[in-house]
Amino acid sequence: MGEAAGAATAASGALPSPQLSQLNLTISAAKLNTAGGLFSSKPDPYLELSVDGHSSRKTEVCRKTLAPKWDEQFTILATPYSKIDLKVMSSNSIRTDTVIGQAVLDLHPLLEKENGKFKDLTKTIELKSEGKGKAGDLTITLNGMDVNMRQYPKEGRNGKHFLKKSLVAQTNYSICKCIGCHCVYDTTPPFLETFLRDKNFYIFGVAAYILGTTGLAESPAVKTHVTFCLLSYQTFRNVRCIKEADVCIRHTWTTAMLLWWVFQLSSYIKLKKHRIMRLALWEMRTDQHGRAYYVDHNTRTTTWERPQPLPRGWERRTDTRGRVYYVDHNTRTTTWQRPNTESLNNYANWQEWRGNRTLEQFGQRFLYPQQPAPTQENDPLGPLPEGWEKRVDGNNRVYFVNHRNRTTQWEDPRTQGIMQEDPLPEGWEMRYTADGVRYFVDHNTRTTTFQDPRGGPQKGPKGAYGVPIQYERSFRWKLGQFRYLCHSNALPGHVKITVSRDNLFEDSFAQIMRLQPFDLRRRLYIIFKGEEGLDYGGLAREWFFHVSHDVLNPMYCLFEYASNSNYSLQINPASSINPDHLQYFKFIGRFIAMALYHGKFIDSGFTLPFYKRMLSKKLTIKDLETIDSEFYQSLLWVKENNIEDCGLELFFCADFEILGKVEQHDLKPGGSDIKVTEENKEEYLNLMTNWRFTRGVEDQTKAFLDGFNEVVPLQWLQYFDERELELMLCGMQEIDVDDWERSTIYRHYQRNSKQVVWFWKMVREIDNEKRTRLLQFVTGTCRLPVGGFAELMGSNGPQRFCIEKVGKETWLPRSHTCFNRLDLPPYRSYEQLVEKLNYAIEETEGFGQE
Amino acid sequence: MAATRRLQKELGDLKSPNSVLKKSFRDICVDESNILLWHGLIVPENPPYNKGAFKIEITFPAEYPFKPPKVIFKTKIYHPNIDEKGQVCLPIINAENWKPATKTDQVVSSLIALINDPEPEHPLRADLAEEYTKDRKKFMKNAEEHTKKFSEKRPAD
Repeated sequence: MGEAAGAATAASGALPSPQLSQLNLTISAAKLNTAGGLFSSKPDPYLELSVDGHSSRKTEVCRKTLAPKWDEQFTILATPYSKIDLKVMSSNSIRTDTVIGQAVLDLHPLLEKENGKFKDLTKTIELKSEGKGKAGDLTITLNGMDVNMRQYPKEGRNGKHFLKKSLVAQTNYSICKCIGCHCVYDTTPPFLETFLRDKNFYIFGVAAYILGTTGLAESPAVKTHVTFCLLSYQTFRNVRCIKEADVCIRHTWTTAMLLWWVFQLSSYIKLKKHRIMRLALWEMRTDQHGRAYYVDHNTRTTTWERPQPLPRGWERRTDTRGRVYYVDHNTRTTTWQRPNTESLNNYANWQEWRGNRTLEQFGQRFLYPQQPAPTQENDPLGPLPEGWEKRVDGNNRVYFVNHRNRTTQWEDPRTQGIMQEDPLPEGWEMRYTADGVRYFVDHNTRTTTFQDPRGGPQKGPKGAYGVPIQYERSFRWKLGQFRYLCHSNALPGHVKITVSRDNLFEDSFAQIMRLQPFDLRRRLYIIFKGEEGLDYGGLAREWFFHVSHDVLNPMYCLFEYASNSNYSLQINPASSINPDHLQYFKFIGRFIAMALYHGKFIDSGFTLPFYKRMLSKKLTIKDLETIDSEFYQSLLWVKENNIEDCGLELFFCADFEILGKVEQHDLKPGGSDIKVTEENKEEYLNLMTNWRFTRGVEDQTKAFLDGFNEVVPLQWLQYFDERELELMLCGMQEIDVDDWERSTIYRHYQRNSKQVVWFWKMVREIDNEKRTRLLQFVTGTCRLPVGGFAELMGSNGPQRFCIEKVGKETWLPRSHTCFNRLDLPPYRSYEQLVEKLNYAIEETEGFGQE
Repeated sequence: MAATRRLQKELGDLKSPNSVLKKSFRDICVDESNILLWHGLIVPENPPYNKGAFKIEITFPAEYPFKPPKVIFKTKIYHPNIDEKGQVCLPIINAENWKPATKTDQVVSSLIALINDPEPEHPLRADLAEEYTKDRKKFMKNAEEHTKKFSEKRPAD
């Protein structure tokens, strides 16, 4: 605290507290009214005087007179702002003395009149009785003082105005010192300018900034200052404290300063006429119940907690379960405890302690308490992917931070979803100890074990999606894992995306690319220009559907059909015909990640090899079959036949034609001179397969994956295989009417109401395409969740298909895509129902009539 | 280019005096700048096409020999397996049958064989196939006239 003390001393030395001067006061005489009444005897008067309530002094008592003459001189010490209390008392030997009349002499106006100096100034002062009537006159003479009145401006009760002004200078001095500290640490207060614009914010803002960024750690001078900030901040919260501060002002310089803060802030309140309080970029607001809450403009979040900026190097985080914890980057530790003033003090003390260490000891500090970070060499899994960091939470549990898209997770991204292993049984979870040893938690019995509950690898029959049934059954579990990651990394608030239907692609592109990728994990709020729809999920679903339809449309040349017989999409190698194509692929990457993250479907699907690429799975010759069967057959022929002596003339290079230009690519360095032989053909086939998948689309794929990874870490997908990924992204295709009917609910209709019966009759009679359109009319998409109609999602979670009785038979059916609801009027006949429904689904596009 | 060496070798074989096709496939012409595009003259032996010659164009894909070449007739021909646009349905270069080891001389041989002996069972022009099977005489007459009218001049030797 040495420096702080120094600063304080310097400050008090510079503070021109109102000086005391010598004043000679002569109490001459008084003329008293007959206050005692006709029958009372004359009083025995004397005079008592005090300066500012102190140093009370008395004259002699004059006997039995109404015109006492004292002619006594008093030498007193007074400031230019002092007030002298003068009381004429009546002495009484039996009872206590009583006041006959009194007056208060305010020195400042007199001094102003006399230019700071009294020279035989005789004044007659009116004395007032306690009943406020005139009690008589008092004559006094003043000599002395001799002060420079320019130093003592007018008014300011007890000289506060003066004090305030001098304190401004003091505070600025302090702040300059603090900013000086900043310069030492090479930081510039970025908010300074903002605060300078509003002078009411100036001091407070700077102080708050210092508080927020440096905490108490850096220098005792700052510490002192921050204490002021906190005090003033707290005091400001409670206006009654002003009075206490008023009392304190005489005692210490620091509390005087505190009072000044209060003044400054309360004047700000008056100025703005509403109760806004900010601490740096915090704002206090009041909800409709009068509860105060706090808005953090930095992160656009609100909290009931009173904000106290975290000290330097601290960060507030939310874990996967939504619990708040605090990361101290200084020490690379985390804690549940919010660092408070006390802990800050402790930290400051520690800093001081550190400061007292010898240089030698200081040097050792770098070697000695080294963070026991796991050394990369010792980690059998190798280094973490770029942008990832391993951390340990307050419970010593290891977790992983993905700095690229600001997400956290428990799973190690290097092993996440590596599913050579079978999934764990229901209710089991795999965890790792701090040492990286794998163990298993059985949530069913609340036990843990190092024993893998799965035993040996399971082999079973294959299910509908070509994967083992056992595996398929666990898709729900995997989806749950993925959803959990999405949920736990959700950001508060929503993100607005405004698009016009006419220019959907470009509007969406501009909006999505303008936003920070992590913003795209906020709740989506889609607005179609000119349409009054509130997005409770239905519009977002529609948006995903239409945008995906647009961007994946082969007409845009960004994607192409895999082949004439395969309508799955893959990146078009000729996309570079659009010079901005990489930006578009990045956008599409973000967009697809958003679809997965927000659980929405897209219109068309990608090829299986494309999904495999997203999962960074190795592509095999077999994967070629789905996208280029000719090429596949030829490679297979090479693989299965002896290629010696059949004049293949193959070398380790390949040609590729793009936009009419043929380019040669060496499959390996110098490949164009290496002939393919029976011995090296395996290598050739591998290289060729890889080349076939990447040729001409590498940059695009990278842009796509980059865009994707910005929003959702690609590691999160590792739970799934390519078919599951396709299912997640596209939903199911064929509409199962039985499932549909089974999962439908009714409002104001019964399952056996004739309109309902007619409705299902119609659904069974129309073809799949029409069913799809009917479904799209009601739900906003033709895609169904993987789990079928039972898992249809609305704006507020699961929302089954619903048919509600609404309106009259002349009305058209209406839909509420947000709630998967069809408003079906009570039509009189099957024919009428068919006609109206047909009309509705044919003529109404998109948002429809809702 | 990757396919160049293979195609140059094939071209050399075809142009060599030892080529079995030296009589029936001649005037092979390949643009210096694009080895993937060949032109040549088919000189059939059998009637009704032995009164003329037919220009063809062979296009090799950049991915050759992993993908088969395409053959197109540039000269009009009255044939059940070759349509008005000159497209020909040649089993050896079908996606299902193609092998990277298949050489262009085999493709051309197969083509010449098809011209000499039409396969009305797999026709591209159903009307000609029907005529060919039902009224061979009429077909021969029409084809001969067509050949005289549209085909190229046969080389002198």
